[in-house]
Amino acid sequence: MDLFSSSVMKNLEMALDGSALKQKTISNNLANVDTPGYKAKETVFNQELKKSLQAHRTDQRHFSFGTESSSSFHVKEKTNTVMNHNGNNVDVDKEMAELAKNQLYYQTLVQRINGKFNSIKMVVKGGR
Amino acid sequence: MGVFDAMNVSASGLTAQRLRMDVASSNMANVDSTRGEFKNGVWEPYRRKMVVLGAGESSFKNMFNKAVNNGKMSGVKVNGVVNDQTPFKTVYQPEHPDANEEGFVQLPNVDPLKEMVDLMSATRSYEANVTALNAAKGMYLKALEIGR
Repeated sequence: MDLFSSSVMKNLEMALDGSALKQKTISNNLANVDTPGYKAKETVFNQELKKSLQAHRTDQRHFSFGTESSSSFHVKEKTNTVMNHNGNNVDVDKEMAELAKNQLYYQTLVQRINGKFNSIKMVVKGGR
Repeated sequence: MGVFDAMNVSASGLTAQRLRMDVASSNMANVDSTRGEFKNGVWEPYRRKMVVLGAGESSFKNMFNKAVNNGKMSGVKVNGVVNDQTPFKTVYQPEHPDANEEGFVQLPNVDPLKEMVDLMSATRSYEANVTALNAAKGMYLKALEIGR
């Protein structure tokens, strides 16, 4: 049995990466809050979509669907929000709220990873 | 993606907002400077200055990242400090050393109200960037706790 490459650990890892990218996106939006013509960006997760795309593999050499951790989130430009007079559409209040949310999300993920590690530790120590 | 990218991006925002604050302060300080620049043998009043901001920097690394990840996220960049070309204020003040023959003095095109608004905007943006920086710091510190 593979101890560290279980799907739980993999998913948590992927989520941490996504959360870090989200943090960077928010930072970038806040840094460009006064840049004329700048369009806000957001990190979107498409894990559910990926999951639904799971296909039955008929050959071991085929590429697997669904659990590719690298492409489960991506950055896209926000175009549906109201523009400022200078073409900038960064909404500071929204970004700050997203920032707080993302921070809590990240900390929760770290906590879960630690929980996972503690379980492994428990097993390694034989329950002592 | 580097570990400290989010922090570097926030830092670029901090630097840009600090410069905006400096320029606004400079404008305020020179609100009465009739001798800003010596041009063609005559003194010209101080001209109001403005900071021009642009997204990201155009280094090879960023262009490459843009091409590969279709996301250009390298913070904010100061494109330059430009002069406000609006006309100077003219005031009748014959006792002023820089008054012309008719007794009119040209004063800088600085509007303290505008500067105050600019200053407030810069302060708020600076605070937002500080918050983002602290959030990133908290997250990285938390990540260090993995496996403790």
